[in-house]
Amino acid sequence: MTAVSGSPRSSRLRRTRVAQALDNRGTLIATLLVPVLIFFVLFNTIPTLWLLGLSFYNYSLTSGSPPSFVGFRNFIQIFNNRNNIWADLSRTFTFVVFGVGIQTVLGLALGFLFWGSKEMPGRRVALTMLFTPMVLTPVATGTFFRFIYDPDFGVLNVILHGLFSTRPINFLSEPGTAFWAVLAVDCWMWTPFMILMALAALGSVPKAELEAAEVDRLPWRKRLTLVIWHHGKFILMLGILLRTIDSFKTLDLIIPLTKGGPGQETRLVAMEVNKQAFESFNMGWSSAYSVLLLLISIAMTSVFIFILNLRRRRGA
Amino acid sequence: MNGRGFRQHLYYAALWLVALFFFAPVAWIVLSSFKTREQILAVPPKLIFVPTLANYTDLLSRQGLLLQVFNSIFLSVVAVCVAVVVSFLAAFCFSRFKPKGTDFLMFLLLSIRMLPGPAVILPVYLMYAGFGWKDNHFWLVMFYAMFSIPFSVWILKGFLDGVSVRFDETGLVNGGSWFHVIFRVVMPQVKPGLIAAFIFNMIFVWNEFLFNFIIGGVSTQNIPYALAVGTYSDGGVNWTFIASMTTIYVIPPILFIYFFQKYLLVGMTFGTVRGEV
Amino acid sequence: MEESYKRAGLALPRRTLLKGAGAAGLSTALGAPFINRLYAMEAHPLAGKKIDMNILGIAGWLPSSLGVKMSPLFADYVKQRYGYDVTFGFAEAPFSDLFQKAATSLATKSQEYNIIISDSQWLGALAKPGWILKLNDIIAKNKGLQLDWYSQTVIDTYMAYPDGTKDVWGLPQEGDTKALYVRKDLVQDPKEQAAFMAKYNMKLPSTFEDYENLNADDYEKVMEFFTRPEKGLWGAAWQYSRVYDFCTCPLFSAMWSSGGEIWDAKTGQIEGVLNTDANAAVMERYKSWLKYMPPGATNYGIAEEIDVFTQGKVATCLQWAAVGLAMINAENKDKVMVVPPPKFGKGAEAKRIYCMGGQPWVINAFNDDAKMRVAIDFMNWWYLPETAKEYAKRGGNPCDKATLSSSEFDDVNPWNRAYKFMLEPGRSRDFWHDPKYSEMLSLQQEGFTSFMTGQSKSARGVLDYIACGQQQILYDAGTAKKEPSGVCGNVSL
Repeated sequence: MTAVSGSPRSSRLRRTRVAQALDNRGTLIATLLVPVLIFFVLFNTIPTLWLLGLSFYNYSLTSGSPPSFVGFRNFIQIFNNRNNIWADLSRTFTFVVFGVGIQTVLGLALGFLFWGSKEMPGRRVALTMLFTPMVLTPVATGTFFRFIYDPDFGVLNVILHGLFSTRPINFLSEPGTAFWAVLAVDCWMWTPFMILMALAALGSVPKAELEAAEVDRLPWRKRLTLVIWHHGKFILMLGILLRTIDSFKTLDLIIPLTKGGPGQETRLVAMEVNKQAFESFNMGWSSAYSVLLLLISIAMTSVFIFILNLRRRRGA
Repeated sequence: MNGRGFRQHLYYAALWLVALFFFAPVAWIVLSSFKTREQILAVPPKLIFVPTLANYTDLLSRQGLLLQVFNSIFLSVVAVCVAVVVSFLAAFCFSRFKPKGTDFLMFLLLSIRMLPGPAVILPVYLMYAGFGWKDNHFWLVMFYAMFSIPFSVWILKGFLDGVSVRFDETGLVNGGSWFHVIFRVVMPQVKPGLIAAFIFNMIFVWNEFLFNFIIGGVSTQNIPYALAVGTYSDGGVNWTFIASMTTIYVIPPILFIYFFQKYLLVGMTFGTVRGEV
Repeated sequence: MEESYKRAGLALPRRTLLKGAGAAGLSTALGAPFINRLYAMEAHPLAGKKIDMNILGIAGWLPSSLGVKMSPLFADYVKQRYGYDVTFGFAEAPFSDLFQKAATSLATKSQEYNIIISDSQWLGALAKPGWILKLNDIIAKNKGLQLDWYSQTVIDTYMAYPDGTKDVWGLPQEGDTKALYVRKDLVQDPKEQAAFMAKYNMKLPSTFEDYENLNADDYEKVMEFFTRPEKGLWGAAWQYSRVYDFCTCPLFSAMWSSGGEIWDAKTGQIEGVLNTDANAAVMERYKSWLKYMPPGATNYGIAEEIDVFTQGKVATCLQWAAVGLAMINAENKDKVMVVPPPKFGKGAEAKRIYCMGGQPWVINAFNDDAKMRVAIDFMNWWYLPETAKEYAKRGGNPCDKATLSSSEFDDVNPWNRAYKFMLEPGRSRDFWHDPKYSEMLSLQQEGFTSFMTGQSKSARGVLDYIACGQQQILYDAGTAKKEPSGVCGNVSL
């Protein structure tokens, strides 16, 4: 700040008292931060502490009895795989890995395809159509895909039958297909996001370097690794990370599609917390589960920030 | 030249096909909204049919629809406005003064958004239950605002970091107060960030179902809630309602991404990536 | 039946029309339904006031919406009779989410919903925390609520909690049982009958009485006979879905009918009662029936069944009597008959014990005085003979003996006869009524659907998993005396 001549100090005399009060650095900072802190404390700190506390209690809303302290019992039960919750975690892990993986590969492929389509007539309309799946209400998406998948009335089975004369497949109710059918909807919704990120990554590659590579007749593979990957990797990694986080939270989509069924085939962690907390009203147990998820999400946030900082350092 | 033109056409056709592929399910919903229930359930599906507007007239006569539409608009607009203002102030503070704990606060703010919805809402629900805040517009707006703040702070801080401090200093030197500097000098410079924060939080709250279901109630129900509870009607799954309601409901977000396409990227990445596609 | 009353603590045996203060108005109301113009207005604490009431009901459930559609009649009635205005708002949620909706609201002691149409099994979960009003005193004071119910099953299902006590928490809104919807045009087609005779050397069951005597083995023949995928026709649709209790209800029905049990209500013991080889065999059998059903059958819940049945894809369908109006529409109304579902077992041993459906009205315990008063007036009005009759006429299923026994009731709706048949003592029962209902249900729905879809191969293994999980739930809640046994450490889906 002081690099500029005529520092703020010299002009202070000319201003009103309110402004003077605000000029006090401390007061100004406080004024700017108070609103956000109120929100933060009220809706985050207090609830989180509440959550932490409750995780040591047995508290069922429908039992009519007050919470009773049970120490680490909820955590021990989690550790002992009550309600098969480790299966949820590993299933969620699979969902994230495959979902994000497929979306990244597809997104990159299609991103390359759309790269250099600036002149395309109606590009804006085409992109709007491409990005629509991201902004569709998930509840509606889920319900409608259930219809599309329906073995008796659904259009997908009709198409498959027309192309390969397959017998009707009950996508959402067969253990072999349910998980992948849900995953496919997730990919339909979010591949456009990865296309967007791929386009951004490609857009961040300086034109000059690309032209230089062209002049040097660098082979494609080298161009990819030396030029494009070098510049685009941060944005791409951010995209992957954001998708990872979001896909870890998937819920709205699964509720109308399968309710976590058949069996536990599509039960992801968010589904299970939702069920335990707001169907079974086991507040203590769900709190303990949420604490576990909180730890996971803090870990993921750390990775996110780490990558951001990496970029900042590199970029500087 | 001709060959290139042909290849160009082929290329564009491929792009259009990709776009259409992703749009097809949406188109199917829109198409269905003009069919009768029998036509929707027909096997094989009907592509050519006499469109009917009956679903839309039925929709208009639904009890509570006006309230739900009003709530959808009210909740998303008010919550996001509150969030953007609060976040702008905070982001300005983080960006300019870097008070102690900035990084930690930014970190915590972000981690709220990383937690699965039910885990977020569980303690909030118990708190709302304890204080009697459930089914109340004000408190629901506050919660949505809270949920939109992290996102907005992140976006806006990114933009504010990009605005040179010289602007502040020039403003101050010329006799402006901090108030003047913040709202008159700096704010206009980060308009794209404000718009991005606004649009993408809007879309989130617009489509939000779980929180509305848990801490909302009769008077605060929005359209996603209506879609979820309206799935079934007396005669089975209510496809006509789902199709027509979804069609109408998806129009505003589609318009947003059409008109604000250049903010799409920044909006979708917490402001960490800027640029156009 | 009078005995059952005494057991439930309802003192007055039978409603006599010309007794008591309320009854005077009733007799004239018979002449001019719902609006009593002849009598002077009665003194009422709410006279001249305007009250807004909210009802929470089940989305997409005809009987719930009927109750709501009839509420303006109540408004007219009280306006004329007591001189106050009442308006009704209606909130709804699907079966699977309604409990969630009700409980999240009631837990805040909110008056958001003044009257709730609860599913019968939730009585415990709503009553235990004190969220809904205990009705014993109210019933004692209101002669209009001292009805003679059709059978003990009604009281057990919709009113009493804990089971077997005299505490009353709900009043029947919609009575409901399982019924078999059969395509009359198919089973009564002489050509089909001849072909069936030729194939199985047995008469194709085609009347109510035929089905009354039908057992599951023979029913399988009917299903097999009509399964013609190449023609887009299948033998049956039963429910197998993961959602709510959809897979549980028919499966429990089959278990009970085959002589099995699901728990010991007295001790809360589940392990060893539910996970038996006999129950496992029933599961195998129920799964094997999928071959007579359309490919989507593992998705079937109430609405999906309505879709396939009304689109003419199945010959028979096990469905709730309550959705008759949706199952039988203008197009197929001459082609459908509603009959009792099949018995299980052979000869005289064969049993028929199916799941109860239906919902009670329950009243929010946190209502203020005015709303409470309206809620009680509403209940009194709901059980007026004219209201019950009107309700039946519109497609609802009342539960009181007077309405059900009236000569015209059997013919009001095509499913009424089957409904009444299934409501007879011993033919239907409800399950659990425990505050932990929801948690136990979702656990077993996961287990059952896992087996039905072939994800888990061993029926017995699935039952072990469910029994252990439920035993743990009840033990934690203090309902069950015994902890899950050591075997439970090793079970998983």
